[in-house]
Amino acid sequence: MSDKVTSVAKQPVKRGLSRNTKRNIVAYSFIAPNFIGFAIFTLIPIIFSFFLGFFKWNGNGTPIFVGVSNFTKMFGDTFFKASFINTIMYCIGTVPLTLIAALGLAMLLNKKIKGRGLFRTIAFFPYVASLVAVTAVWTMIFHPSKGPVNAILHYVFNVQTLPNWFGKDLIMFTMVLFSVWRFMGYYMIIYLAGLQGISGELYEAAKLDGAGKWNQFRYITWPQLSSTTFFVMVMLTISSFKVYDVAIMLAGGSDGRLGTSSSVLVYYIYQKAFQEWDLGYSSAIAMVLFALVLLITLVQFRGQTKKEKE
Amino acid sequence: MKSLKQSKSRKIIVYLFLVLASIIMLIPFIWMLSASIKATQEVFSVPFRLIPAIPRWINYKDIWTTIPLLTFIGNTTFLTIVVTILQLLTSSFAAYAFAKLEFKHRNKLFLMYIATIAMPWQVYMVPQFIMMRAMGLNNKLTAIICLQAFSAFGVFMMKQFYTGIPNDLCEAARIDGMSEYRIWWKIMLPLSKPALSTLTIFTFVNTWNDYLGPLIYLKSESKKTVQLGLKMFIGQFSAEYGLIMAGSVITLIPVVVVFLLLQKNFVEGVASTGIKG
Amino acid sequence: MRKRISKVASLLLTVVLVAGMVAGCGASKSSDPGYGSGTTTIKWSIWDEKTTPYWSQLADAYMAKHPDVKVELTDLGSADYSTVLSTELSGNGSEFDVVTIKDVPGYATLIAKGVLEPLDDRIKTANIDLAKYNGSTDQLKADGKLYELPFRSDFWLLYYNKDIFDKAGVAYPTNDMTLEQYDTLARKVSKTGFGNDQIYGAHYHSWRSAVQLFGVLDGKHSIIDGNYDWTKQYYDMVLKEQKDGICRTYVDVTASNLHYSGAFSEGNTATMNMGTWFIGTLIANVANGKYDKALCGNWGVVKYPHPSGVAAGTTLGQVTSLAIPTSSKNKDAAWDFVKFVSGEEGADVVAKSGNFPAIMNDNIASQIASIAGFPTDDASKKALLTTKVYLEAPYDKNIAQINTILDTYHKDIMNGDISVDAGIAKMNKEVSAVLGK
Repeated sequence: MSDKVTSVAKQPVKRGLSRNTKRNIVAYSFIAPNFIGFAIFTLIPIIFSFFLGFFKWNGNGTPIFVGVSNFTKMFGDTFFKASFINTIMYCIGTVPLTLIAALGLAMLLNKKIKGRGLFRTIAFFPYVASLVAVTAVWTMIFHPSKGPVNAILHYVFNVQTLPNWFGKDLIMFTMVLFSVWRFMGYYMIIYLAGLQGISGELYEAAKLDGAGKWNQFRYITWPQLSSTTFFVMVMLTISSFKVYDVAIMLAGGSDGRLGTSSSVLVYYIYQKAFQEWDLGYSSAIAMVLFALVLLITLVQFRGQTKKEKE
Repeated sequence: MKSLKQSKSRKIIVYLFLVLASIIMLIPFIWMLSASIKATQEVFSVPFRLIPAIPRWINYKDIWTTIPLLTFIGNTTFLTIVVTILQLLTSSFAAYAFAKLEFKHRNKLFLMYIATIAMPWQVYMVPQFIMMRAMGLNNKLTAIICLQAFSAFGVFMMKQFYTGIPNDLCEAARIDGMSEYRIWWKIMLPLSKPALSTLTIFTFVNTWNDYLGPLIYLKSESKKTVQLGLKMFIGQFSAEYGLIMAGSVITLIPVVVVFLLLQKNFVEGVASTGIKG
Repeated sequence: MRKRISKVASLLLTVVLVAGMVAGCGASKSSDPGYGSGTTTIKWSIWDEKTTPYWSQLADAYMAKHPDVKVELTDLGSADYSTVLSTELSGNGSEFDVVTIKDVPGYATLIAKGVLEPLDDRIKTANIDLAKYNGSTDQLKADGKLYELPFRSDFWLLYYNKDIFDKAGVAYPTNDMTLEQYDTLARKVSKTGFGNDQIYGAHYHSWRSAVQLFGVLDGKHSIIDGNYDWTKQYYDMVLKEQKDGICRTYVDVTASNLHYSGAFSEGNTATMNMGTWFIGTLIANVANGKYDKALCGNWGVVKYPHPSGVAAGTTLGQVTSLAIPTSSKNKDAAWDFVKFVSGEEGADVVAKSGNFPAIMNDNIASQIASIAGFPTDDASKKALLTTKVYLEAPYDKNIAQINTILDTYHKDIMNGDISVDAGIAKMNKEVSAVLGK
């Protein structure tokens, strides 16, 4: 808001660079180191891949222009549709659950408890432990006939038809559960860092006013965390759409292949790109993924910039 | 107004919950330890035995001799340190501009940064490889550094943290005549210890565990990294899971150490100093 | 305005880069400096260098004969070998002179990318008789051209645990069994029980080839047919065996990640259909104690069971081959090396290391059979002689897609998610679509 005032006040025609231009140059100079590296090594290949969506190319020879045929092909592609739906379902499940779990853990482990450093490290473990190990454990625990989960369901709750957690009906659910467990420690750290930015004085004042724990959370913690929450939501959304490793490990079996019940977009992209070397089609699919994520991010971004202006 | 008893019993409940949750989180790690001293065919055998009949401690010796694990750890350490430093510097530098400076196309540029995170790497891996090879970066450790050090993720994260730091601090410094560069160096950086620690942890883990990048770019054995090394235990017809797990346990240690050291920075009140002063 | 200009600039840059890449891809790099002038280096892509001795043995044997040539091995790892190699050969600028081709889908990919040299003229000039490869090269021709020469070939056998048969008082499997006889035998020697008591008459690894490909042995069908009705009786056979407890269920095998080596070495598997590559592992691991000798040390092999009316010794196989990338600058030197490795001299080295070269005859079979640890009974020795080998995956330009489709529905059928008939119907429909039928 203060900026609107200063830009109105700036009138005179100076010789040399205007204040605006100087300001821009300074800002660009801050961005430059990161942007140059980013542009050369990442942005250019990404832009190239965008154009590739309208071509047919296998990595060698000249790309052949095919217009929108890659995109029309997608509409009739059952495997693409299955992957698309699975990915969306996965996203809807994972994002809110992980966020809540991570925030809860962060708030809990921000209190002054003995050994909280140790607990924080333990919460981080599922993320850094070898994916092979984590999957093996999960597979053992949820084994349809030999795992403890189904054993408990059968003997304690008397469930007759035991669920097959890796079967085509429940596999997406199992993947969501797995993800939440694996990544809540990761996002907990982000929230922990975010919590450090909240001044203790705010809570003091609130307590004096007689605010209880819930109101403190609602009126201080949650609003103060809004830029952190934005980051967490966007990252969760993007990484949910990009899910790949989790699906392969849980549902891929020994040959790393997914069926229609568990296939996800990035898996399909990978198949098209590196098994069939149909780089044009895989780029086209990626563009659809990108467009979707961009849309969701834009909505969140609008909401967030409104908040940040306050 | 809370009675001592109430707060004590609440404390006990909290601890109980934490201990239970910790056990659940630690199960895969316990599995890793158990598998690391088993012979390969025992690793997945059912029923699960925590401690095998004959523990193969020799696994921990074999991993160093079967593959040049020390070389791989050396390469990975080098890459991780360089990438982390570059990431921290360039990301926080750029993030300051996005968070605290007004300039033309700020929002569009920032949105573009975030948006590119959405592209799965598998999509542009091949054009990127062809381009990097044309630059002479095939089979060079520098290639990995170029790929990892300039990420949009770091910029995004630091920007969000900087947004949380009140503008008054920067305004006051500007009025005092500080250049933006000094503001970044003297004010923003010190205040963002938790954020920098977070970025360090994430960059460290990411680079340390990176598999696809080294797979495509590093071909000579002298340049390979830890994750490639562990995959060497998976042969065409069989996999030495006992050794893989022993290797995974060893390579997990630096990550845990880094985290333990850095999480000390997630301490209340670090950022709240100097606001009203 | 500046941003717009820089946007246009970056767009132009991209276009230029693309044009550059594309032009580079199109241009051919043909200069062959003529070999023999000083030391030539041949760069060779391989995998599992540390665990498989014949790579360096082959390189050493060649260099001993050609002191002016250096063979440089580059290990790309076996886990993602085809992906890494295909990426490496994308664009232009790869430095490999000889590449090892791991499987047929990888072979098809590289042919489609146009990065392999056709070898027919060189084969003719060198007077190489392709018949010594037992028919496998016929199944690798793409549009009449051959782009690789096999140097290692594995085929499928039936492994069996002699102790289990002895205990059950059942006669060993023979070198001439029909599939019905095989099924009967497996049922005879099975024992359903709990825990350690259970004996499985058969074991099928999770690969599609372990179940489906019994059907190609009569030579009338292959997986590039587009119609898979011929797999029904084998799915039925195996699923019934699963139901009756004769073999482990697919669900269990995949859920517990049980490797076939583990299944056999556990000592409760009477017979197992698997490839000859397992022989080397078995011998080594029984010798070094990794596998318990008491549980699985007394093993043998017999020829693969076949449909009635088909000659014994007909079996499935897969080949590992060498090819020359079009981007190589030392094609003549590379060809000389390829000739060596896939010829008799290379076969000798491979056989001595306990593996199966692509050239298989009495001599080589005896060599392998005489390796310490190989079963001493005559039947096992005779089992190594093949009559006709059908490749698990013959060449087709769509082989990768076909494999994916078949694997998907194989999984669904074996998991019980879909009935055999429905699964086969889907396979028929989708593969036909790919083949354009």
